[in-house]
Amino acid sequence: MILGSLGVWVPVLPAASALVILAFLRRARRPAARVSVATLVLTLALALALLVRYLMEGGVAAVDSGGIFGSLWLDPLSLVLWAFVSGISLIVHIYSVRYMAEEPGYARFFALLDLMTAVILVMVSAANLLTLLAAWFLVGVLLYFLLGHDHRRPAAGRYAFWTQITYRFGDLPLWFAALILVHYYHSTSLPVIFARIQHGPPALLWGLPVTELAGFLLALAAFARSAQFPLHVWLPYTMDGPTPVSALMHAGIVNAGGFLFNRFAPLFVHAGWVLHWAFGVGLTTALIGSGLMLMQNDIKRSLGYSTMGQMGFMVMECGLGAFSLAVFHLIAHGFFKASLFLGSGDVIGDARAHDGVPPDPIYTSVVERRPAKPSRLPCLVAASLTVVVPIVVLSLSHFFVAEHLFYEQGVVVLLFFGWVTGAQALFAAHKMSQQDPWRLMIGILASFVVIVIGYTLISHYFGRFLYPDEHESLMLYRAASIHELSFDALVLFLAAVFVGGWTLTFFTDSFELGRNLGGAWRGVYLGLYALLSRELYVADVYERISQILLQWSRRLNVWLGWC
Amino acid sequence: MSLSLCLLAASVLPLFPLGWVFNRLVASLPAGIAQGLAALILPQLGIALLGLVPPSSTWPVSWRYGAMAWATGSALLYALRALSARDLGIWTRLMLSSGLGVVWLGWCAGAPAAVLRAVAVGWSLPGAVALFLAGVLVRRVGGAYIGLQGGLATVMPRMTASLVLAALALTATPVFPAFFALWRGLGSIPLAFVPFWLPLIFLWGWAAGRLFQDLLFGDYRGERVADIGRPSAALIGLVLLAAVVLGFHRGGVTL
Repeated sequence: MILGSLGVWVPVLPAASALVILAFLRRARRPAARVSVATLVLTLALALALLVRYLMEGGVAAVDSGGIFGSLWLDPLSLVLWAFVSGISLIVHIYSVRYMAEEPGYARFFALLDLMTAVILVMVSAANLLTLLAAWFLVGVLLYFLLGHDHRRPAAGRYAFWTQITYRFGDLPLWFAALILVHYYHSTSLPVIFARIQHGPPALLWGLPVTELAGFLLALAAFARSAQFPLHVWLPYTMDGPTPVSALMHAGIVNAGGFLFNRFAPLFVHAGWVLHWAFGVGLTTALIGSGLMLMQNDIKRSLGYSTMGQMGFMVMECGLGAFSLAVFHLIAHGFFKASLFLGSGDVIGDARAHDGVPPDPIYTSVVERRPAKPSRLPCLVAASLTVVVPIVVLSLSHFFVAEHLFYEQGVVVLLFFGWVTGAQALFAAHKMSQQDPWRLMIGILASFVVIVIGYTLISHYFGRFLYPDEHESLMLYRAASIHELSFDALVLFLAAVFVGGWTLTFFTDSFELGRNLGGAWRGVYLGLYALLSRELYVADVYERISQILLQWSRRLNVWLGWC
Repeated sequence: MSLSLCLLAASVLPLFPLGWVFNRLVASLPAGIAQGLAALILPQLGIALLGLVPPSSTWPVSWRYGAMAWATGSALLYALRALSARDLGIWTRLMLSSGLGVVWLGWCAGAPAAVLRAVAVGWSLPGAVALFLAGVLVRRVGGAYIGLQGGLATVMPRMTASLVLAALALTATPVFPAFFALWRGLGSIPLAFVPFWLPLIFLWGWAAGRLFQDLLFGDYRGERVADIGRPSAALIGLVLLAAVVLGFHRGGVTL
């Protein structure tokens, strides 16, 4: 009861702040910022108090509006995301106080930030479909105005429009999924719908199970919101908006896809193939996002592609059934990326002061009189360390924390990716030229062990917090599983691909094969480079499609005399 | 007789191609208040005409589904046409013609006349505001062609803010009444029709985005003009606030 009555204030406070600023403080810059920041401090304090209260006493509460719109659901997912969203929003608010000081529309900016915070808080705690849909929709609208805050720059407007139109596209499957669920389960209340899915007979629509069709549509909505390939084009280009908005977007808003998967977890238990599809889309996005990130020479756009890669990993985790891990990932990534964005100005300042050009071996040898090629570890030792150590550390840590999960395919794939990432980190460390390679390797290994153990423990306990019913977690892993033989073959194939890739990289580096490319291979290399530097031509395809539609529209209007 | 009344209703509660009459009628009136009033009254007239024919539930199912398909196609066509409209008056009329298709859906689903009137107001009210503002632009700038001057937000902030809110309400943005009307409208028709209505939401968003692009961004290239007065802006704000309250009420929230 207390949880519910206090909880309703969490989204109401920032909304009230926005209204006060718009109504009374539009010309009062400092008071507007003070009201906004003070309100966010209160909101965060309240969100944290509610979270602590839940941790101590437990119990899920609901705030019922008495209608089909406006109800809130205060479960562990809502409470943890309330604390996360209000925390990130407070950081962004405090940063904006000085960062936006010379910008026009200062008070309006804070009002929009407050409104956005309120809407996200409603979205993550919505207890019925209409509330969720309205908040989901409004996030896109408010983001448009925040990204286009500087009216003097047409580029800001253009890229804000890209974001708005992609978000609107992503709203459509959510509309359809919501209508299907209401049609078949005769309620807009999410807890009621989930209970009926669990206990009711399976329903069919157009020959497909309703849960699978709705799951497919929900996944599509999540993909658009979380910049999954090929719906990613807007994300790297939103950098024309103010930096605090970029931070808020990359740290919070873009993570909404992971939230949607978690909110509808009871439905995805019955939609196994949708999870496989999400794994594929997430993996593709992670690879493309991370690849394109390496090609950028603009720090903010590079961070944009980094976010795309991370969102790919997050969706991939959902595809594996590790739903709680996706939430942990989005929170960790949110704080990490917010700090990177808010610190990007300092990085640019430092880069102007120090050019950061990598040292040239000849220069090092001749001018600085240091050995041009310091020693490295022996190849065999390095290969053993990079391949064997990560797998031992990962397996042991997970085995001790949650042995029974060790046999789930999703967990094995996550461990596999942990092994790949760890081995890649060690491999990269080995390639670094150092005077004392053993010291470097031991340092990297120690960090790796600490990270793996910390991550395993946190993800395990966080999973138990989000999904107290362990059966539900197991059901999600089972839904994401495939045939055992196919699974084993896939893991072996991927392992061979990665080890082959490392070997190829090693020999390419050692024998400088890249410089001796000729004939057809050079053409392939240049074609690939052009494809990636044009960001796979995805934006160009969208541009062409929109031009064709606009042409039809104009012709129709001319034929019909604009009436 | 019933069919004739329906066709007559389709000419004032726009349904393509008879919606041409609605558009022509509104366009022929002086820009501003007269057009706004027409946008409010004509759809209500159409609903009154529909009240004279037997309820749709007494019609054969194939006829009802045919009418739904017609309303869907008409709404899509008008929304597609709104994409390339740069004149605020034309843009508003086309968007209004598209949105009012939801009233036909409601009628086909057997909704009572009171509900149909409320649904129509959900689109007509912001439409009337936008047409009134188009009249203001015609009088002060010489035309309501938004892309001509660009960046109107810098010289007419109150007018721009009012127009942005009206456009959002017209494109079924939460928490305006059109959003709730659309939800109820789509919830009352067979699911097979829903995939055809979803692109409509996308087209509305696209059309609004193009309007905002011309309205908000870039440098203003015209002569200095006066903004609308504070009382006018306050009145528009109150009207749209009333629409929001209506939306919440129809949405089922106890106020």
